[in-house]
Amino acid sequence: MFLTDSDLQSLWLTIKLASVVTAILLLVGTPIAWWLARSRSRLKGVLGAVVALPLVLPPSVLGFYLLLAMGPNGPVGHLTRAVGIGALPFTFWGLVVASVFYSLPFMVQPLQNAFESIGERPLEVAATLGASPLDAFFTVALPLARPGFLTASILTFAHTVGEFGVVLMIGGNIPGISRVASVQIYDHVEALEYSQAHRMAAVMLIFSFVVLLALYAWRPSALKMTRRD
Amino acid sequence: MQLTMAVQKSFEGFRLAADVTVSGDRVGIFGASGSGKSTLVSMLAGLQKPDSGEIMLNGDCLFSSTKGINLRPEQRRIAMVFQQHCLFPHLNVRNNLLYGYKRCPAQFRTIDFDTLVAVLKLDGLLDRGVTNLSGGEKQRVALGRAILANPRLLLMDEPLSALDDSLRFQIIPYLKSVSEQFGIPYLFISHSLVEMRLMTDTVLAFEKGVMVGQTTSEQLARSRMGQSSVGYINLLKLGSPTPKSGLFAYQWGASQLLLSGGSGCETSMAELSSKDIILFKQHPEATSARNLLECSVRSLFNSGNKIGIELDCAGNTLIAEIVQDAVDELCITAGSTIYAAIKASAFRMQPRNLSD
Repeated sequence: MFLTDSDLQSLWLTIKLASVVTAILLLVGTPIAWWLARSRSRLKGVLGAVVALPLVLPPSVLGFYLLLAMGPNGPVGHLTRAVGIGALPFTFWGLVVASVFYSLPFMVQPLQNAFESIGERPLEVAATLGASPLDAFFTVALPLARPGFLTASILTFAHTVGEFGVVLMIGGNIPGISRVASVQIYDHVEALEYSQAHRMAAVMLIFSFVVLLALYAWRPSALKMTRRD
Repeated sequence: MQLTMAVQKSFEGFRLAADVTVSGDRVGIFGASGSGKSTLVSMLAGLQKPDSGEIMLNGDCLFSSTKGINLRPEQRRIAMVFQQHCLFPHLNVRNNLLYGYKRCPAQFRTIDFDTLVAVLKLDGLLDRGVTNLSGGEKQRVALGRAILANPRLLLMDEPLSALDDSLRFQIIPYLKSVSEQFGIPYLFISHSLVEMRLMTDTVLAFEKGVMVGQTTSEQLARSRMGQSSVGYINLLKLGSPTPKSGLFAYQWGASQLLLSGGSGCETSMAELSSKDIILFKQHPEATSARNLLECSVRSLFNSGNKIGIELDCAGNTLIAEIVQDAVDELCITAGSTIYAAIKASAFRMQPRNLSD
């Protein structure tokens, strides 16, 4: 067998995690990107910097703070226990929350660029034709920003697939719950199972290459921020 | 249309202070670039908020800083045709046209889609994407889209400036006929005096953010003649051409004119600058100019450092410009007879029939 059951389980978990995170970030990142693209508030710079932090922070730093916040004594931990969810660290949903923060710039920045490139005029035209701001957003801004959505979704998905540091800090290494593909490769190497590590690494390599190839073919200019930390 | 705007707005070192009261269905706003005319119409459409003042349209308050009223653009029912066509590239022609129509409250929907499509000659384009249309087609679709929103006022912000001359004079009849046929008053913004005369009756002239005059488009063109590098542009409605000695003979009222170019249309419009008309007190024995018209002087008017001469040429009107010394030497007074010489090459043909 090319991949073991454990490998397949980690791959499935990785795809599930990346899909959930991408879906959540589409919902969360779109209004943030819209606001950043159109606001003239002084807070725009602050929010922009916060969104971009995961690009420059070591994953272990982000993971450490998230672990503290979501831990039993952290504010988020208190809240989740109070509402009956329990502690998030070392659970799948803990990984999701951490990944949402970690991949936030990969969703927001391409969307912000897409919204900014539309400009004011199409929305002004829509307004003079009777469209409310919300109507104009859904019927003009979203369709015109469609390439940006595609780019942002692919980048976010691919970036989440490649997570390692934050996953280890928040999720540990629990099969079926937090052992994603990158952790599985690490485990194989630790156990000197190089052939299995090779297979998993090849799958990840081919996946990443295909995603980037598709993205370059679609929009060569979209990869200004595909740098790994 | 009854419009009152008393608004102020300052930004980036520019201050606009407009105090406008105007009525009419074909109103122009004239001014050079940076005079504030686009800012004015943006405030009227609700796209920019004045710092203070009041905007009233047909008795309805659109904006009042004292009363705290500022209707949103979609609440004003004022459509705009922009300098660039600004069509939605993700929609085909039909859906671009219907964008405003679908959002217009049912009680205001008086313009029929099919009728408008026929008037603008868009029948064959409805299912096409907008990116492959020609410049003129795009501007016709933009015009149709604005009209189908059934606005109570149509703003046209230099809608012809992005088009070349050929397209510009193809679009003008559409702009006029559509708004007139469907009874929509319009404000036409331009820095072209010719466009103003073709499109408007009343003109508000702006300079450096202040309205400097409200007049007719004809009077405005005459008053600007002396300081314009192209002079006053006479617009001559001509009949069909017949070739004659390498030139083209056109009927212009009761007179015949020889032009170096032919249009091939049954009727045409030609431009002739006031600077290209030479006046003679007596009939010259010979002249190289191919057109020599016997005219009577209707009136004289001052324009800058020039004198405008309004000539009656067998019932047609021509405006020529000369300096005061020439007026004195030729002893030109109202009622005197004079000869106007015009070279055949002085005329500039407009590409399409503008007589409608």
